[in-house]
Amino acid sequence: MKVSLSWLQQYIKIEDKPEILAKKLTLAGLEATVNIVGKSVPDKVVIGQVLSVEKHPNADKLSVCKVNVGDNEELTIVCGASNVAADQKVPVALVGSKLASDFKIKKTKLRGIESHGMICAEDELGLGNMHEGIMVLDNDYEIGKNYNDYLEKEIVFDIDLTPNRPDCMSHFGVVREIAAITDSKYKFNKININESGKKIEDLTKINIENNEACPRYTARVIQNIEVKESPKWLKKRIESVGLRSINNIVDASNYVMIETGHPLHTFDFDKLSGHEINVRFAKSGEQFETIDHVKRKLSSEMLLICDSEKPIALAGIMGGSFSEVDENTKNVLVESAYFNPAVIRKGSKLQQLSTDSSKRFERGTDSNDTLIYSQNRLTGLINEVAGGQIAKGMIDIYPKKIDEKIVKLRFSKIKNITGLQIEKQEIKRIFIALGFEITEFSDDNISVKVPTFRPDIEREIDLVEEVIRINSMDKIPTLRKINISVSENVDKLHPFLKSIRNLFVGMGFNETLSNSLVSEKMAKSGIWNYKPLKIQNPLSKEMDTLRTDIIQSLLANLKINVLRKREDIRLFEIGKTIEKESRSETGAKEHLNLGVLVTGTVWGLNWNEKSKPVNVYYFKGIVNLICEKYGIDNVKYKETKNCENNSESVSIYIQKKEIGRIIKYEISKFDKLQLDYPVIVMEINLDTMFKKRNKIQKYREISLYPSIMRDISVVIDKTKMAKDLLDEIKTNGGGNLIDVIIYDRFIDHEKLGKDKISLSFRLEFRSKERTLKDNEIDKIMEKIFNKLLTNYGAQLR
Amino acid sequence: MSIFDEIGSVAENFHNKLDKIIDQEQIVDLKNKYLGRKGIVSNLFSQIGKVAAENRKKVGKSLNSLKNELTKKINEKDQQFSVSEEKSKKTDYSLPGYSFNKGSQHPITQSIDEMLDIFNHLGFDIAYGPEVETDWYNFGSLNFPKNHPARDMQDTFYTEGSGILRTHTSPVQTRFMTKNKPPVRIVAPGRVYRNEAISPRSYCVFNQIEGLYVDKDVTFSDLRGTLDMFCKMYFGSDVKLKFRTSYFPFTEPSAEVDVSCFLCDGKGCRVCKNTGWLEILGCGMIDPNVFKSVGYDPEKYNGFAFGLGVERMAMLKLGINDIRILYENDIEFLKQF
Repeated sequence: MKVSLSWLQQYIKIEDKPEILAKKLTLAGLEATVNIVGKSVPDKVVIGQVLSVEKHPNADKLSVCKVNVGDNEELTIVCGASNVAADQKVPVALVGSKLASDFKIKKTKLRGIESHGMICAEDELGLGNMHEGIMVLDNDYEIGKNYNDYLEKEIVFDIDLTPNRPDCMSHFGVVREIAAITDSKYKFNKININESGKKIEDLTKINIENNEACPRYTARVIQNIEVKESPKWLKKRIESVGLRSINNIVDASNYVMIETGHPLHTFDFDKLSGHEINVRFAKSGEQFETIDHVKRKLSSEMLLICDSEKPIALAGIMGGSFSEVDENTKNVLVESAYFNPAVIRKGSKLQQLSTDSSKRFERGTDSNDTLIYSQNRLTGLINEVAGGQIAKGMIDIYPKKIDEKIVKLRFSKIKNITGLQIEKQEIKRIFIALGFEITEFSDDNISVKVPTFRPDIEREIDLVEEVIRINSMDKIPTLRKINISVSENVDKLHPFLKSIRNLFVGMGFNETLSNSLVSEKMAKSGIWNYKPLKIQNPLSKEMDTLRTDIIQSLLANLKINVLRKREDIRLFEIGKTIEKESRSETGAKEHLNLGVLVTGTVWGLNWNEKSKPVNVYYFKGIVNLICEKYGIDNVKYKETKNCENNSESVSIYIQKKEIGRIIKYEISKFDKLQLDYPVIVMEINLDTMFKKRNKIQKYREISLYPSIMRDISVVIDKTKMAKDLLDEIKTNGGGNLIDVIIYDRFIDHEKLGKDKISLSFRLEFRSKERTLKDNEIDKIMEKIFNKLLTNYGAQLR
Repeated sequence: MSIFDEIGSVAENFHNKLDKIIDQEQIVDLKNKYLGRKGIVSNLFSQIGKVAAENRKKVGKSLNSLKNELTKKINEKDQQFSVSEEKSKKTDYSLPGYSFNKGSQHPITQSIDEMLDIFNHLGFDIAYGPEVETDWYNFGSLNFPKNHPARDMQDTFYTEGSGILRTHTSPVQTRFMTKNKPPVRIVAPGRVYRNEAISPRSYCVFNQIEGLYVDKDVTFSDLRGTLDMFCKMYFGSDVKLKFRTSYFPFTEPSAEVDVSCFLCDGKGCRVCKNTGWLEILGCGMIDPNVFKSVGYDPEKYNGFAFGLGVERMAMLKLGINDIRILYENDIEFLKQF
């Protein structure tokens, strides 16, 4: 919303500098910035007078001019324009002026004659499109003055309004704000109109079908007007607030809307069939062409203004091309009405058509004084700028008056909400300045009648806000001491996630944060087989679905990094994944997951260690670490069935529930990326981990006695699973076996035989009560070996 | 000179020379000179025939002990040198250490942690809500009437069925209050979504932290105090705060908070667009209609709420001027944090 300072000054005396006023308005909730509107030319463009013009001796189309640019300075300027003549006042760009970033005026020789500047055409100064000859200025321009001094400028406030303040989409509204903020008086003009025409009842009639959608409709008629260009003052006002001047009728209508905030419409009266107005909802499928020449298909929720046969306007939104005022219009009907905000908003949304008019109606206009004032104001203004006779009387259909509400404010409430006491007289002053009528003023309370141009004010709390925003938004004390209520429920999830993050950061992983909006294809590739949840109004097809796993996001991040030739990529991300679930109230089920991705080597390239590519066991190690940290046992791994091509996968289970997966993608999956190493990813559901974690950690007594280590190496069939042997050892190791690790594994056809495999285990025995003896461990080892022999055919190596 | 004297002077010369030795090459020379086949010691042995027979045994004995002593000394010296040589071969301290991959937490989750720590410090607990919301929690319960232009303040994504992607973390307020009796004092971090074109200044996904405090006698002064403390703890104790009237359907009065530009100390710079102030968050006193929608008595309780954009705050603090780099996840970028 733009308001012009000089326009405001018609109603109120403003003493603050524009910047100061903008700051005050901003503090009160009208975020304002100051702009200077108007045309300007580059520096060093001055008024000159052509003294003489002679033909250039060496060029047909050029003339050599002597130009007086003031201070008795006479310049020789070569000019190419055909309209240059002696005695003309002209804009002269002096040497050193910069007409465009790449166009600086210099002293130059043109066909042998030195030229000291340029006489300018309109387009060269950025003032218009005219290039046909130089600009010739009025004779009263003073020689030597800067041309800029003659160009008109306006100070305009750009106000960024919040949607609760439709009243401030007008100069009147802003004037009331200024009056309240700066404690000054304002006055709006009284309107006198000269009704010299026929009786309006004899000319037209109005019929409203639905009084809820259109609670009030008023009309006046003006006959024998002349549609023409607007007078200068009107044009200037309209253009200063960023509108385009069309003709006197349209401009007058826009002028009144910008002045009072009430949108109005003028119809060409002679184009109205039956000379009548009917307000009704559209029939479903009805067609209508608006003034922007778009043919629109209407639904039954669109409110229409119609004549006796057909629609002539989308009520409160836009007029129709058929009934538009044009240069042949003689008689007009002026509409000033109040439409239900929700109806206008719905219509505007349905047609995807937002106009200056619909923006005001949907936020709420004034059905009472402003509506009538605006009707009379526009009628009078049309009469003033277009002549004609105003019909006697006004048709006003308003069956059920919308009354002003009376709202009571307890003075104590202000203190209660803000912690600040405000003078009662000041509170009263604020409401009066804002246009409220005081109906009660006692020791404890003030009651006000809320003008209907303030639809945002209905309750006591709204009055509190009015007082605060005008008086004291910057005066409310900042307490350095706060009373707090502390809850016993301490969140455990965030610390849990924080420690998982720390774990990965410590292991050299980089945390990513990815867009949760992905393509449907990506969502369908998710590892959990969730039904993807689609977005009805996506930004693009690439982002029309919510992600169903983290791995797809990480693979996308991988791509960016590989294309930039980053090496040894280790990523992790914690975030929500979303599944369509029609039984839930939101239509979705959300899961909190951890995704991990690695490609590259355990150690980067270095001078000593020969580094190995990261593999699946690296990830199993991470899972074990996390599980151990949070006391989660019973983790099992099972090969995943039906996994993608070019990949192998193992599922992670806790108590029969699949909580995650480790997947190895072969290089061949990423043919375009030319990877050096396979990509290994993992995803774990953290909701489950969080639930299953050991919530209370307890101290376990530690042993004070030394441990005994024993190694055993066996040869078994390749088909046997290491996990089974480990379990067998643990089952038979007795209570003092505290750890078993596999420290060697190899395959060698010649030494071990075909399809054989060698595994070496190291067992650690330790007792909490005593030092163990070798011979008792020998017995256990023998038992273990016998079990391995009988159950797995293991041979000692 | 008797042969015994000769043996004595050989030993003495040897020891003098041995002391002056500086490298292994000289040891080899010395060894050849004394213990070589034609060396000094072997020369002495060859003279044994000339010695009187009764002394021969004695001379032989002392020659043998000389030979043994010299051999021992040379070996010792040799050992000394090879040990030091091996030592220097083993540890070249100028070689680079192993390169550990530099792990890093994303700047946004780091900022969230930092902010939550401050709020924890100020007595706020953490609460959560879903990212896919109902119209009621995202709008209705927060006093956004149906068909009201206030809904246009936040461009909304609608999901299949009747869900919407939450446009702010404010629904956590009403979800939490619906389930808990006052007093409540929480902060709620999380992702929010806006249907806005992606540009250097806006992204369709970002993170917010919502704050909520409801109790008897909570005033706007408490709100100012809380946010003042938070901003000073987060941006530095020199910053000043400015509250401007604004509008949010779920708070009344509502305010936008500007913090004095900590990059130029409020003098005016490119980042604050020469205003000296940075717009950082929105806040206000909870609207009575919100209390009604969760079953709290607005005559009995007051409360304040605030919401801040994590990306905006973090970008200001870190000097990042394009939000998209945060969601691109180039490890060269991530490793900086």
